[in-house]
Amino acid sequence: MKKGIIFIVSLLAIAMVGPLFAQVAFLPSQNIEWIVTSSPGGGSDIYTRIIADIMTRMDLVNAKTILVNNKTDGGGEVGRLSVSRVAAGKQADHTLLTFNSGDLMPMVANTANRIENFTPIAIMAVDKQLLYIGEKSKYKTFAEVITAVKSGANVVIAGSKGDDVATYNLLLKELGFTETQLAFITNNATSDAITSILGGHVDLVMSKPAAADQYVQAGKLTPVLALSKIRFTGNLASAPTLSEIGPYNDVEYPVWRGVVGPKAMSPAAAKYWSCVFKTVSESQAWKVDYIEKFKLQPFYLNNEDAKKYMTEYQYNYLKSIGK
Amino acid sequence: MDNLNFLLQGFQIVFSLQNLAATLLGCILGLIIGAMPGIGSLAGCALLLPLTYKFNPTTAIIMLGGLYYSNMYGGAFSAILFNIPGDTPAIMTTLDGYPMATKKKRPGQALSISNISSFVGGLIGMVILTFTGPVLANVGLSFGPVEMTALLLFAMTSIGWLVGENPVKGLMLTLFGMLVASMGMDTLSGSPRYDFGNVYLLGGVPFTPFVIGLVGFSQVIMLMEQRNIAPQLVADKLTLRDSMLSKNEAKRLVMPSIRGGLLGTFVGVLPGAGATAASIMSYSAQKYFKSEEPLGTGAVEGIAACESANNGAAAGAFAPLLALGIPGSGTGAVLLGGLMLWGLNPGPLLFKNSPDFAWGLIASLFLANFIALTVSWGVIPFLIKILSVPTKLLIPCITVVCIVGSYSTSNSMYGVIVMFISGILGYIMQKFDYSYAPLLLAFVLSPMLESNMRKAFIISRGSVRIFLEKPISLAFIIAIACIALFPIVRYFLIKAGLMKKKTAK
Repeated sequence: MKKGIIFIVSLLAIAMVGPLFAQVAFLPSQNIEWIVTSSPGGGSDIYTRIIADIMTRMDLVNAKTILVNNKTDGGGEVGRLSVSRVAAGKQADHTLLTFNSGDLMPMVANTANRIENFTPIAIMAVDKQLLYIGEKSKYKTFAEVITAVKSGANVVIAGSKGDDVATYNLLLKELGFTETQLAFITNNATSDAITSILGGHVDLVMSKPAAADQYVQAGKLTPVLALSKIRFTGNLASAPTLSEIGPYNDVEYPVWRGVVGPKAMSPAAAKYWSCVFKTVSESQAWKVDYIEKFKLQPFYLNNEDAKKYMTEYQYNYLKSIGK
Repeated sequence: MDNLNFLLQGFQIVFSLQNLAATLLGCILGLIIGAMPGIGSLAGCALLLPLTYKFNPTTAIIMLGGLYYSNMYGGAFSAILFNIPGDTPAIMTTLDGYPMATKKKRPGQALSISNISSFVGGLIGMVILTFTGPVLANVGLSFGPVEMTALLLFAMTSIGWLVGENPVKGLMLTLFGMLVASMGMDTLSGSPRYDFGNVYLLGGVPFTPFVIGLVGFSQVIMLMEQRNIAPQLVADKLTLRDSMLSKNEAKRLVMPSIRGGLLGTFVGVLPGAGATAASIMSYSAQKYFKSEEPLGTGAVEGIAACESANNGAAAGAFAPLLALGIPGSGTGAVLLGGLMLWGLNPGPLLFKNSPDFAWGLIASLFLANFIALTVSWGVIPFLIKILSVPTKLLIPCITVVCIVGSYSTSNSMYGVIVMFISGILGYIMQKFDYSYAPLLLAFVLSPMLESNMRKAFIISRGSVRIFLEKPISLAFIIAIACIALFPIVRYFLIKAGLMKKKTAK
């Protein structure tokens, strides 16, 4: 009798404790929905599909299918809002969202959504910009540009919305120029900005290495300023940093590419995904087919470090826009 | 002549079994997708792009290119038969296509005209692309913000005649179109406009559902009023032979098609302007040329002008895409992404590094043109039979297609809601005799006009002189001045006896 009771009690104890152990080992058990808040063919879309492809090839998702879903409503805000609201449970553990600094900025500036409504999973890479001149530009180096502006000329930089604007503001502050002296034209995409400089309508273009690469190779664009603390490599090595040109500090505004999940994602799932992304970031395919090809800088942060990084970024950005 | 050799090599590449199949598939899919209201080449390419991830790049681009191109053929089908544009470049086709099909009871002829002029326009575009692709792309580049502003202002003067008999109504609609187009996120300043705190409105009013609703769904509501009226056309009159064009009509469509093709190709090359803008500008330009019947009542010239322009633009859009790696339109951006996905690097070096790919694509477009013409001509009898389906059966079918099309633009019900609201709006407008043409013209052109104008002013630091300093822009400004002053000048000329007064018919 006593033995029986002890047996039953220990069974119950195991039954209660067992699920705790089961929680630690998360494995995808249904299809994974990965939301991208920009249209197919764009930078974020390519980033997502390449990672999804690597994950499937390296069998990191338990043979489940990754469904990439482009949700572009409201400039992407609707997609982000819907991910943040996914209720706890299996769905939350199987929902991913591509999230970059260029997504965070308009989100916190124009809506009430904040990073606290998401579970950061990883940061995978950073990108930085350069300033380029075209074949028809009047100025051959950035030092010439600074001299020209100081003697009264008006210079125009073309760039893309989001990150580029923030970098421009930083550059403006560092150089001590006004918006009239060194103007910035915001375009919907970097390709539009490059179009305008190829036609000779603006003096400089701000771009990340990937978008301008083909033009640099063809000789139609020449990098003249590296918006970074150290020079770039390869065919961008000739561009000096700001401190090399004059008595200025280097200007850089790193653009990070990451992944987040809904707030209600379980910690076990977050840890699992963080490990998966770590494996991807260390894979040869990632390094060659994405980082090298698109000239980003590899930069992996796991879920906890990513959370700190994104939260701090959000805080700094909100302060800079006065919120 | 070099280019001709390259083109012939391109044909060799196309005539492989795999690539031929891809062209055929792309064409047929494009025709179907084009005919379905709401689903256009952008949605089609975006949906199929992930599937082509693993294809051979040449095969993949041939299929998507064929789809993009034949989409322009298909768009006219539902525009002519139901007054619902199959995709946005076909908006203007409804203005003459539908009256010709219904009031004049000649749907077969309308479809034939649309097919032939699409073919001519596309052929012109491709020939230009073959021989002057890179040069043309550079010409397109020389149109910066200043020049585009001047061009768009010129295009908007055409509202002057589109407003029809009541200028006040027309102006109201134009301004309303501008207001609606301004909703959403302003790129230049990064601040939201008229979003009313709603997350969805942050992205503005999506174009395709708005058009589908305004033009198409309002038409469905009108049909609902008439649902018990017998079908308008008797089935036994509708054979292919009866859809043949008379010699006179065939002659009449030649010049508008050639003009439309040239204009369309050029507009397709311009940054930011695509097939929709091309067909609008071509239709507006047609006003300045002779047409035997007044435009808007089922004129041959009207259909020919739009359809040739949108096909020309589709061909022209490939010039900056292939020669410079710059997408000329939304669909171009998807194709560009595709190029990158398949491991190719679009840019100035594409022709040099991957000539097989580039010339294979151009050759396949020629082939696609022929296939699309043949197939769309062949289906005319079937399409016409649709008209004899009882109205009350047609209504739910068209409604479903509209809903699916509006949903697919952004994978959400937002598009559908926009469609319903704009449908009701369109219906009210039709009831009170407001034409939707000025509203749509303003909706398409004013965002481009605004962004280019503001960029031009940033470049010139607020000075207006820059519009007169740049040669291309100066040319357009002079043209606008001529058009604006012409009525006054004519008045004086008539008074002075130098010009005969035209008696009103």
